[in-house]
Amino acid sequence: MNQPVASRTKRQIIPVIELTLLVIALILPLFLQDFWVLFTTRVFILGMLALSFDLVWGYAGMMSFGQALFFGMAGYSAALLATKWSITSVFVLLPVGGAVGLVVAFLIAGIIILGKRPPNLVFVALGTLTSSYVVERLARGWSYVGGQNGIPSLPRLTAGSFELTEGPLFYYLALVLLALVYLGLRILTRSQFGLVLAGIRQQENRMAFFGYKVQNYKGFVFCLAGLIAGISGGLYAFHEGYVGPGQLGPVLSTQVVLYALFGGAGTLIGPIVGTGLVDLFSFYLSQIWETGWPIVLGLLLLVIVVFRPTGLIGFLVSDRERVGSFGRPTKAAPPTPDARHEPA
Amino acid sequence: MEDEIKQRLQSYSRRLFLQRAGLLTGMVALGGGSYIYNPKGTWAADPIKVGIATDLTGPISWGGIPNSNVAKMVIDDINSKGGLLGRPLQMILEDTATNEQLAVTKVRKLVTQDKVDVVFGGITSSMRNAIKDTIVNRGKTLYIYPQLYEGKECTPFLYCTGPTPAQQCDTFIPWLIKNGGKKFYLPSADYVWPHVLNAYARTVIEKNGGEVVGEEYFPVDHNEYSATVNKIMSNKVNVVFNTTIPPGVAAFFKQLYEAGFSKNGGRLACVYYDENALNITPANEIEGLASCLDYFKAVNDPYGNKIQAEYTKLYGTKNPFTAGSAATGMYRGLRLWAVAVTAAKSLKREEVAAALDHAKIADGPGGPSEVVPGRHVKMNMYTAVAKSGKYEIVEKSKGQVMPGECV
Amino acid sequence: MNVVPFFFDVLAYSAIFVLVVLGLGVIASMMGIFNFAHGEFVLLGAYTVYLLQEHGMPVWMGMIAAPFAVAIVGLLLERIVIRRFYATPIVAMLGTYAIALALRETVRMLLGGQFYNVTAPFVGSFEVGEFSISKWRTAVIIITVLVMVGSYLLLTRTKLGLQVRGSLENPGLARASGISTSRVYAATFAFGSALAGLAGGLMVPIYSLNADMGVPFLIKSFLAVMLGGMGSFEGSIAGAALVGASSAALPWAIKPVVADVVVFLVAIAIVKYRPEGLLSKWRK
Repeated sequence: MNQPVASRTKRQIIPVIELTLLVIALILPLFLQDFWVLFTTRVFILGMLALSFDLVWGYAGMMSFGQALFFGMAGYSAALLATKWSITSVFVLLPVGGAVGLVVAFLIAGIIILGKRPPNLVFVALGTLTSSYVVERLARGWSYVGGQNGIPSLPRLTAGSFELTEGPLFYYLALVLLALVYLGLRILTRSQFGLVLAGIRQQENRMAFFGYKVQNYKGFVFCLAGLIAGISGGLYAFHEGYVGPGQLGPVLSTQVVLYALFGGAGTLIGPIVGTGLVDLFSFYLSQIWETGWPIVLGLLLLVIVVFRPTGLIGFLVSDRERVGSFGRPTKAAPPTPDARHEPA
Repeated sequence: MEDEIKQRLQSYSRRLFLQRAGLLTGMVALGGGSYIYNPKGTWAADPIKVGIATDLTGPISWGGIPNSNVAKMVIDDINSKGGLLGRPLQMILEDTATNEQLAVTKVRKLVTQDKVDVVFGGITSSMRNAIKDTIVNRGKTLYIYPQLYEGKECTPFLYCTGPTPAQQCDTFIPWLIKNGGKKFYLPSADYVWPHVLNAYARTVIEKNGGEVVGEEYFPVDHNEYSATVNKIMSNKVNVVFNTTIPPGVAAFFKQLYEAGFSKNGGRLACVYYDENALNITPANEIEGLASCLDYFKAVNDPYGNKIQAEYTKLYGTKNPFTAGSAATGMYRGLRLWAVAVTAAKSLKREEVAAALDHAKIADGPGGPSEVVPGRHVKMNMYTAVAKSGKYEIVEKSKGQVMPGECV
Repeated sequence: MNVVPFFFDVLAYSAIFVLVVLGLGVIASMMGIFNFAHGEFVLLGAYTVYLLQEHGMPVWMGMIAAPFAVAIVGLLLERIVIRRFYATPIVAMLGTYAIALALRETVRMLLGGQFYNVTAPFVGSFEVGEFSISKWRTAVIIITVLVMVGSYLLLTRTKLGLQVRGSLENPGLARASGISTSRVYAATFAFGSALAGLAGGLMVPIYSLNADMGVPFLIKSFLAVMLGGMGSFEGSIAGAALVGASSAALPWAIKPVVADVVVFLVAIAIVKYRPEGLLSKWRK
């Protein structure tokens, strides 16, 4: 029997998930105890970092093992401004964080990604990992930024005369910023730009043959991710109240990769979900088995990577929707005269 | 057919996932799953909550495990003698995992969720710096830090019960000059503690007529010390005042030994080296190594021996009770705090702090100790020398040594 | 500057490093996978020696057992986990990261987080003029050279070696010629792991055993493999020799923290401008 094409498409699940989570996030502080509000805020902030990673990997196909570098450097910059120059305004520090992330990403992109020959995947991965490692070691040894101890006891962010204390206030700040970033990325990735990225991810050479300057697209995405990581780095520093070399290094960088993979790379909601779940698992695991929980965490991550490389989102969302469709939805094509003779 | 099976599997795993998500939400809502040690028996009043935040996993777990063991031991002991102010102590243990990012969340839980009355913990200075703000400023809770460190921690409501550079150098360095020589070399790990300790040590060395021939800093996992060893040998250095830490220290000591340093009469000194650390290298490589701590098993004082016996009975010998792992500081801190709480007859931070500012205990591992102005503790210090893999006490301080911090 | 200790120490460190990198390089060249758990394989080799020592066996026996023990572990991991990811090497790398975490923390739990020492089979030093040259470190250099020569002969003179090289150059053609690439990959992974285990066993008397001992080697090893060029045996050795030698030599002249950073920056720069590495024969 002839059915019009439109009704054969599956119902989209991702928007449902997104909306549900957004609504839950908006009302959560009313139900949760203080500690859990803080916990969730931290999840939002790290989720933003994971999102920045997924932008680079899931959408542009570059494995950046060094996202924490931008995160940490932004955090350090904001912390230095706050402690040495007493600047605490959120309107200054967060943009500064973002800018630092952007600039550092630009430098790294220049060295690792751009250039005459496109680098291979492993080089980008190891190059970013190494950068993260090197900067962490430098930070550990530099007493101006506190060395191993980092910069403790950061003052709170202020908006005018208003102190942004951690708790519901910071929660909503983080949520709003996350939502804005999310929305922005959603528009970007569903646009023509996103279509180009998908093409680059799938078959880079072909895109180059089409005339797209692939390197520029990659560079742009990388810098954008750096910007996002920088903003989240600034937020994190002031939410936690300190910056340390651990916020720069490969441990956090790799953790972010795992967050994104756990939740589902190649989607926007996946990394955020992944961050929340991994942090929750870590928290509860450490309560149950004080001395051995990292072993369980490692095994858990291994299981996910092995058996469900599409991440947990892969449980709920079909592959086709995950990879995504681009541009405005096309109207179902009217049945052509020939279609009537085709088998149903 | 295949499609059908695949679909069934997918929907099954989907259901499973949603089920598990539901369970997890339930756990979150109830806040379940804590490592809480509840006081035994029935009590008339609510428990006093003591938060212990230490590194049970990660590279510093060798210190965190004895810390948590000691805490449990002391808290059980206090409970068996009637608790404090008629209330039992409840110990809430959190693993900071040698990961400062994780630690802040854990400590936050102690302070915001469990609403503990005091937090003991942190071993490395970087951990202390990461968590102190959450505890003391944002959490408005008392914080007691038990480990030997570089000093200069003067935050109000933060008490340090481990040795400071003054305590480790003032009596030790004169002994080193007398029993080693005047030429010192300072190979160090590159972080705050060695830098500050070295600066202090240098003044004491020079005041006592010694000379610092060299001072060098390495990443903690550096394992090539040939250049340094060479400089030490060629400058005929008498005393190597070492502050490199594991893992690098093993390679350093070995390379120093192989170059013939101790064979030629050189004296190795390392102020964090306790009985645990003796395992790091074979005994012959550290023969003659001198250390200065607030307690060694070799002190053989009755109180210390009693603690050792009890500790070994409860926890075995894998993670022993030593001074380098902050276990002695933890013991001391808990006892001093208990005294303060009893004296203040309250758990309000300001009142306990006021009492803690001059609390003293008549006996402890290594002897009595007392909190002095500046929120640090004066205590006996012992100089010990490693002989055939065991320590021998060669000097005891003339009374309790002042910490010299924050005055 | 005292020439003899300098050269000896550079050589000694490079020898250990080459042994570690060789295993990693073989796996990376063959399967394109950078094994994040390589440091933990080194750890397992060291742990095996310690464990056997605790049970009364002589240290040298432990050192012979270590590569075999770790080869078995490597083989199991390859069959169970890594085999699934040859098509997506990046995911394989993450899988090995998770394995590394689990292995490291398991050993940490077994050791109680402590440091332990193992006595070298040859204790003491040779007196060369006014310098002391460690006997055991000399032995390690000699053993490393023998292993390298042995591996080279294995690769070039044996049938298995021929199969390995064939699968490396052209897997499709190798399979078409009847070589079981699956078996070759398994053998390669086991061999790479064995080398790591041997390195761990040999180094434990020098550096003492603790759960984090493999970690400092990891990133430097990745760099060395990239530098030397994937796809060739000689490349890994060259890369390791270069990175190892400069890591050991530079601290004689400049601050160790800076030395570390310099090594990394130079290596990255070289790989950037010569992505195939210095001695690569890899045809993409």
